[in-house]
Amino acid sequence: MSLNTKKLAKNAWRVTKDRHLTCLRIRVPGGHLPAKFFPILQEIADRFGDGSVHLTTRQGFEIPGIALAATAEVNTLIAPLIRELEVDQGVQVPAPEEGYPAAGTRNVVACIGNRVCPQAVFDTTSLAYDIEKTIYPNNPHVKIAVTGCPNDCVKVHLHDIGIIGQVEPIYDPSRCIGCQACVKNCRQVSTGALRFHNFKVQRDAERCLGCGECVLKCPTGAWSRGGQYFRVVIMGRTGKKNPRLAAPFLEWADRETVLRICRNLYDYIDRHIDRTLAKEHVGYIVDRTGYPTFRDEVLRDVVLSPRAKVAGFFRPSGYLYDKSALAGQESHI
Amino acid sequence: MSNNPYLPFRAPILSKTRQTAVDWTYHIGCSLNPVPGQFVEVSLPGVGECPISISDFTPDSVELTIRRVGKVTENLSRLEEADYLYLRGPYGQGFPLEQFAGRHLIIAAGGTGLAPVKSVIRHFAERPETLAGLTILAGFKSPEDILFRPELESWSRSFDVQVTVDQVCDVPVPSPGHVGLITALIPDLAIPSPTNTRAIVVGPPAMMKFTCAELLRRGLKEDQIWVSLERRMSCGLGKCGHCRVGSTHVCLDGPVFNYAKARKLVD
Amino acid sequence: MGSLIEAAALDELLRLLKPKYRIYAPVRLPGKGRFSDTDLIGYAEINRSRDIVFNERSYFSPKEILFPVNQTLFYFTESQWREPETDDREILVFLRSCDLEAVKRLDQALLHNGPYPDSYYQEARAKVKFVLMECQEEFEGCFCASMGTNESRDYAFSIRPENGAYLCDVREDLEELFGRLGKPREHEPAFVREHKNPVRLPDNPEAFSEHPFWREYSERCIACGRCNVVCPTCSCFSLQDIFYDDNPKVGERRRVWAGCQIDGFADLAGGHSYRRDKGERMRYKVLHKIYHFKEHFGVNLCVGCGRCDYACPEYISFSRCVNKLAELEDSTKAEANRKLGDTSAAVEVKKDVK
Repeated sequence: MSLNTKKLAKNAWRVTKDRHLTCLRIRVPGGHLPAKFFPILQEIADRFGDGSVHLTTRQGFEIPGIALAATAEVNTLIAPLIRELEVDQGVQVPAPEEGYPAAGTRNVVACIGNRVCPQAVFDTTSLAYDIEKTIYPNNPHVKIAVTGCPNDCVKVHLHDIGIIGQVEPIYDPSRCIGCQACVKNCRQVSTGALRFHNFKVQRDAERCLGCGECVLKCPTGAWSRGGQYFRVVIMGRTGKKNPRLAAPFLEWADRETVLRICRNLYDYIDRHIDRTLAKEHVGYIVDRTGYPTFRDEVLRDVVLSPRAKVAGFFRPSGYLYDKSALAGQESHI
Repeated sequence: MSNNPYLPFRAPILSKTRQTAVDWTYHIGCSLNPVPGQFVEVSLPGVGECPISISDFTPDSVELTIRRVGKVTENLSRLEEADYLYLRGPYGQGFPLEQFAGRHLIIAAGGTGLAPVKSVIRHFAERPETLAGLTILAGFKSPEDILFRPELESWSRSFDVQVTVDQVCDVPVPSPGHVGLITALIPDLAIPSPTNTRAIVVGPPAMMKFTCAELLRRGLKEDQIWVSLERRMSCGLGKCGHCRVGSTHVCLDGPVFNYAKARKLVD
Repeated sequence: MGSLIEAAALDELLRLLKPKYRIYAPVRLPGKGRFSDTDLIGYAEINRSRDIVFNERSYFSPKEILFPVNQTLFYFTESQWREPETDDREILVFLRSCDLEAVKRLDQALLHNGPYPDSYYQEARAKVKFVLMECQEEFEGCFCASMGTNESRDYAFSIRPENGAYLCDVREDLEELFGRLGKPREHEPAFVREHKNPVRLPDNPEAFSEHPFWREYSERCIACGRCNVVCPTCSCFSLQDIFYDDNPKVGERRRVWAGCQIDGFADLAGGHSYRRDKGERMRYKVLHKIYHFKEHFGVNLCVGCGRCDYACPEYISFSRCVNKLAELEDSTKAEANRKLGDTSAAVEVKKDVK
């Protein structure tokens, strides 16, 4: 049996334990799927697979147990889904009936966002589509996630690029009744950026996360929503070497900036990737080039909004898989 | 704007006398001619306003006895003679003195509750012949908390005055002194004719409730008792809503209420 | 006088009124809703007829025009007071029947309770005229007809959008303007007459003051006060003194909306607080709206606008609460009758008061 596994993987099919079987991966940008596609998934699973569908952590589907010989036929079946979720959103897919054109850059995941969630400060699905359009199809292994508020339900802190919605709260003292619902709540669930003085509220802009909790709690509309911005955290990862949470890169960045840095990231990777390796994850490239190079190259030609701030240093928390800690004598539990 | 009822007037402090560690009596130069039991809104610009019952008055002054319990009273306590404060009022319904004429009057006051009835006592001290008798029961936490010592002393020369404290210390209690709650004094009171007796009960909510209950046990009817309610009066004008209980605004219909009405106020 | 006025002509009319009037109407404030990418329907000054939102209920009521959220009563310096300057223009407010009736309740509370009228409200009130926005059908959760506030006629003119133009019933001194800008057209404003969920009032809800019924609200209410601030008839306020940071001898005294559901409303100096329990606060509010105010002024305070139900983040329904009280009263009466074995006599529910 002859099979180009590189081509297979690029077409979003897996090499599996069984030499005759493969597994189809379906991208669902932003994790929001029109329900009309479920019959297609079911048909593929029933006719070509083992009748089951796996829900991935990246908000896609994997349909296992498909014969390697059936990939071309199955690709034609998912063409309508690729057309609607990719092509119609502006993604360049040369031949949808031939399946996915790339798999290295992973599905852009997103929390449910403000189409449903009261706490979300923006429409995460729509930004996920815009990012998908900017970065896909592409081969480098990059994970991007979008979340509606700093609760980070989608765990953007475990992504190469994590995008967190921010809203600038606007305060109208003439509508404030001094109930302090915002002050108490900010202290309780967010950063304690609000202070009550002279019967009115003062916001410490340095401390404010832009979570919008004050707007949610205000009974009179004294707090309302100003501009939508984004906090960007970078280079969070899992993996066998050095799992770590992402660290701040930008805050109060506008949408244009977010899309631009996603695009510039690929130029940066192209410039610095170690081509002797089968693949190199972007986080390890940043470890090698250092943060300043990453920052300067990714922000090239970016016009930051007046409010935007760029991190001066990159110091992510994490650890090396260091077996000595567990083999050592220090902990007797 | 004409007739702005929120505008206070400025009035000088003529004198300031310390009553206890936390209570002071101020004489304020102004002519209000209140009814005993009424209150004023006292304010300090930039700090705020609070309701204070008038403890006594002359034609050209009012006496306020103020306990340091909150932000405004804390700041008031720092004022001295010749300083100014700001007043609005008098507000509310006072004690119906005419209803007590010819009766035996029992006044039971707990702590600062003595302030709003002080001018009632003074009124009758000046005309003892208009009452069949006056019994004054004054309860305090400790001898150090006793208010109006000289006045209690002087009233005791004309009337039956009994002072009780919850707990004793080195400071003496005016004779005849008791230890215990006011309610404990009531069963032994001489009440020759319950029907010809009227009572005023002013103090903390629990003290009023139990004292009224004891008086009812001694044969008084609900409508023979008057109380003065402590509520969060704020505007004093029946507008702000803070002191409303049911359809009653304490600042307009009270703070003095007949007990038959007061006991029906469900908070 | 009935009149049909085209949108452009109404705009002209508004333009002509502008020098003399501040004109307020419910408008769409884009992005100003509580949740992201949502709008707020609130009151603001308008210039054009198309700014007026006819097909939705405003989230906040028009009370803030006559009774601002924050109102400076006076500025003070070391020994002097100065009242704030006021706008000499008259006020024209577009509002619905329930809200117009609500203004009459505010009149009772702020002008006629106690010996002194509230001079700030009085001054604004003397300047205001109303434009009745017709309700051709109810909004979700309204019950004005149950409260008898569905038909208010104290307006300068009424208005109903009709195929890009407006049908009006014109009164008072605006007849001349309408005569010039509109066309005569017989018109009688429509009023809402019935509701999907009508509200039935109990006769004596005070009898249930101590009933365990209220405990449900102790658990559910979060004391946010949204019901108070959206209510067109809640008029409680607190007085606040502030001094300016860089000169504590100069400052101002304000009054600011307060709400009986919010923590601190019934606190006394020294720490005591009445109605700490949220069920007690609910009872206090509900009884005021449907019973205690009426005891004093002869009409119920609640006008049935339904805003409190819509605003409650815990989905507590005022109208459901009132209906439950009525049901409770029914069943208590029925039980009393059954016990007496006398089903024909109406039995007075004994007041349960401590």
